[in-house]
Amino acid sequence: MTKGHHPSTATRRPDRAALFIAVVLGAIAGLIFWDVSRLAGAAGYSQVGPTTVPYAIACCLLALAIWTGFEAFRGDFPERERQEVAPVIWIVGGLAAQMLLLKVAGFSIATGILFALTARGFGKRKLWFSLPVGIVLCFVVWVIFAKLLQLSLPAGPLERLFF
Amino acid sequence: MKHFFLATILAGAMSLPAFAADYTIIAPANPGGGWDQTARSLQTVMQQEGISSNVQVQNVPGAGGTIGLAQFASQQKGNANALIVGGYVMVGAILTNKSPVTLKDVTPIARLTGEYEAVVVPAASDIKTMADLVEALKKDPGAVSWAGGSAGGTDHIAVGLIAKAAGVDPTKINYIAYSGGGEALAAILGSQVTAGVSGYGEFESQVKAGTLRLLAVSGPERIAGVDAPTLKESGLDVVVENWRMVAAAPGLSDEQKAAVSADIEKLAKSAGWQEVLKTKGWQDSYLAGDAFNAQLEKDVAATEGVLKDIGLVK
Amino acid sequence: MATFDFLLQGLLVAAQPMNLLYALIGVTLGTAVGVLPGIGPALTVALLLPVTYRLDPGGSLIMFAGIYYGGMYGGSTTSILLNTPGESASIVTALEGNKMARAGRGGPALATAAIGSFVAGLIATLGLAFIAPYIVKLALVFGPREYFALMVLAFVTVSSAFGDSTLRGLTSLFVGLALSVVGIDQLTGQARLSFGVPELLDGIEVTTLAVAMFAIGETLFIAAQGDKGPDKVEAVRGSVWMSANDWARSWKPWLRGTIIGFPIGAMPAGGAEIGTFLSYAAEKRLTKHPEEFGNGAIEGVAGPEAANNASAAGTLVPLLTLGLPTTATAAIMLAGFQQYGLQPGPLLFATNPQLVWGLIASLLIANFMLLVLNLPLIGLWVKLLTIPKPWLYAGILLFATLGTIGANPSVYELGMLLAFGLLGYAMRVFGYPIAPVVVGLILGPLAEQQLRRALAISQGDYSVLFTSPIAAVLLVIAAAALIVPLILRARGRGEVLSQLAANED
Repeated sequence: MTKGHHPSTATRRPDRAALFIAVVLGAIAGLIFWDVSRLAGAAGYSQVGPTTVPYAIACCLLALAIWTGFEAFRGDFPERERQEVAPVIWIVGGLAAQMLLLKVAGFSIATGILFALTARGFGKRKLWFSLPVGIVLCFVVWVIFAKLLQLSLPAGPLERLFF
Repeated sequence: MKHFFLATILAGAMSLPAFAADYTIIAPANPGGGWDQTARSLQTVMQQEGISSNVQVQNVPGAGGTIGLAQFASQQKGNANALIVGGYVMVGAILTNKSPVTLKDVTPIARLTGEYEAVVVPAASDIKTMADLVEALKKDPGAVSWAGGSAGGTDHIAVGLIAKAAGVDPTKINYIAYSGGGEALAAILGSQVTAGVSGYGEFESQVKAGTLRLLAVSGPERIAGVDAPTLKESGLDVVVENWRMVAAAPGLSDEQKAAVSADIEKLAKSAGWQEVLKTKGWQDSYLAGDAFNAQLEKDVAATEGVLKDIGLVK
Repeated sequence: MATFDFLLQGLLVAAQPMNLLYALIGVTLGTAVGVLPGIGPALTVALLLPVTYRLDPGGSLIMFAGIYYGGMYGGSTTSILLNTPGESASIVTALEGNKMARAGRGGPALATAAIGSFVAGLIATLGLAFIAPYIVKLALVFGPREYFALMVLAFVTVSSAFGDSTLRGLTSLFVGLALSVVGIDQLTGQARLSFGVPELLDGIEVTTLAVAMFAIGETLFIAAQGDKGPDKVEAVRGSVWMSANDWARSWKPWLRGTIIGFPIGAMPAGGAEIGTFLSYAAEKRLTKHPEEFGNGAIEGVAGPEAANNASAAGTLVPLLTLGLPTTATAAIMLAGFQQYGLQPGPLLFATNPQLVWGLIASLLIANFMLLVLNLPLIGLWVKLLTIPKPWLYAGILLFATLGTIGANPSVYELGMLLAFGLLGYAMRVFGYPIAPVVVGLILGPLAEQQLRRALAISQGDYSVLFTSPIAAVLLVIAAAALIVPLILRARGRGEVLSQLAANED
């Protein structure tokens, strides 16, 4: 998992991704400045009010953004391995589907879809197999946790069929 | 090892009732807190007294109950089988969080329980009476630090009211907010602060053990069996009650509302509920109908006033 | 001595065969639920508490103790094997434990965690029995300024989890600190960084962030390696048991972890995770094998796991002697105790000795049962790694989201889980350490609130921060821990620093 740490070489182009990180850090700092500036800085009896610490954090983030920018130009960031995009999209799709379907379809179906799509991301292509397996497994989990242990997990059509 | 697990699960399965849902109670807080305990006690008693065969409790925590309240008002509209537990803390949270949904957007049914606030100091403190504390407050409000629950909560409101009644500028109070009664209690016991304000139940065992001195309670009358004057007796015209209530969904017909009210009245009068009140140490402050609505309006107005005085609400 | 009599009596009751069985069932259930990624001890205890209500008070108390210890221990198993800690107290365990598991040394890692938990649990439970009144006095001396000094010390120790780059470690920490500002400011009631979204008013849930960053981020990262990574982790290399060398390197961290964890757990605003951070930092400084830290050092598992369990017993000190629940788990336990007619508070030891000593005896028995159950199971747990990846990670996501949905069934919470999961993935890709983000989220608000409380009580006088002896000592330790390695590092990396300086003008 750890990647080799390459010492800086003058010939390297600036690391675009690292520059992007520097910009994002700067943006977060700006966001904090903007939001906190609207607060009433009522410090009361302590000299440190609700705005002091956020400002300090924002200043440090700004400094880190500049530092990251330097390292980006020096090419001091570790080499990154090539990432496969497709599996990530499958899994993120599964999580998004679960989030959107949870209330409508209930726990078993929504989480079953997440299960099958995650397995797909790891190379199990047979959705006709993994989807039913996932839904049945999630239904069993739902019965154990929602019915026996009284955890509030949303019920959908499948759960209502049985309970 | 698997067998133990399965056996226990099976044993559990056989002892569970399997009826259709009659009531869903929303507890707008995390499991374990006051509203959650109220909701779960309602659940137990309703089933036990045969008011409803199946009651579910759902936790929707967040932001002093306003998230649960907002979700309840929008999702359960017209559903006579849905209830929500709430209380005085919600009144303040709605104001300080600028919640778009207020108690006007649900159908308050009845006040169920209440608890009075108590003012305490560490046993080793020089302050012996409420009058001593008021004197110290008048001399230098900043030097008197008060520990209590979250900013804008019942405890904070009580301190604001005490300052105002004593003729001290409420914006000058040095109130130290803690996340829960427990942490505040530790600060008072360790003499980190001058005084503490919280529900009496929070302090009861320490007062009995003699590690805290109880200066006053915030009810209109003394609490039975507790040797402490009311704030009124101490010359401060302050009455604060941290009550809990149950409300139904908005948009109910008059018949539906009457049916829910009848169920809650039956519950409040039942032996099972009285037993719960006794074991939990809650006071019965059952109040329903127009009397409750009038009380609610009065509380909302008074709370808004004091929160403005403290400077938490503009 | 009456204390001993009560304890012996309690042990005799707890050691009856039926009660031993209840303890075993409790430990099994607690471990089984606690081991699921995303379901921490608080949720485990809350879920399983009702199971105990069906028994007689003695049996139910002992089963409850079993569930508590089982739930505490269960979390470390998935941290070590799968790098998916479901709660903040086992994050540190994952740092070294998972590296060990990847090297085929998952068995010894789990064993040192189990035995360390047992040793710490044993000592800490005895501590609870005999020195609770003194420990609680110490805990009450801690006011806002002492807590602030403790947080400063904890911040300094975070640097031991920074990995190989100070820049990226600091960036991770400050991202966590920025996240910690989100929500209502506790001292003034004002909303910060919540942009009018009511769901953000309570801030970002530590559990949600931890599960997202570790479980989901890790899953995405492994998936994105495609077929490049090894198809299956080699589950066992060498023995599944601890070698003599492992024992020799573990026993001191166990004891040190216990000594660090117990008092911190007993402090009303301490929290188990702070003990684990301090223990990890201490082991890293004291080890004879510094080169192994970051690559799977057994001390880095033994110490924090002992600290974690010792602080779990420490939590019971303020709970039993003051009636103060200081963690979510303790709050749920308080509700449980009330069911047994046990009213925690200053008078408890005097008015209700049978129940208290029964509970302490139950904790001792449950702690022992945990060892009996888990040592033989280690071989089985390690086999988890042999489950084919698609099913393993699909299962991890199933349980990780189950825990989040169960705690708060809201679309926003799942959205945050997804967003932070992606952040965790991106950070892994760019070589940022994950733990400091979660640490920043935990420590940020604690440090800020305690500082502001201390200054409010002193009416703005900064000198109070240094004038309390305890605070002063803690700050001196923190300063030493910060400056000494800096000097060492400056010597070693003088070259890099001068280069940096040259670039700046």
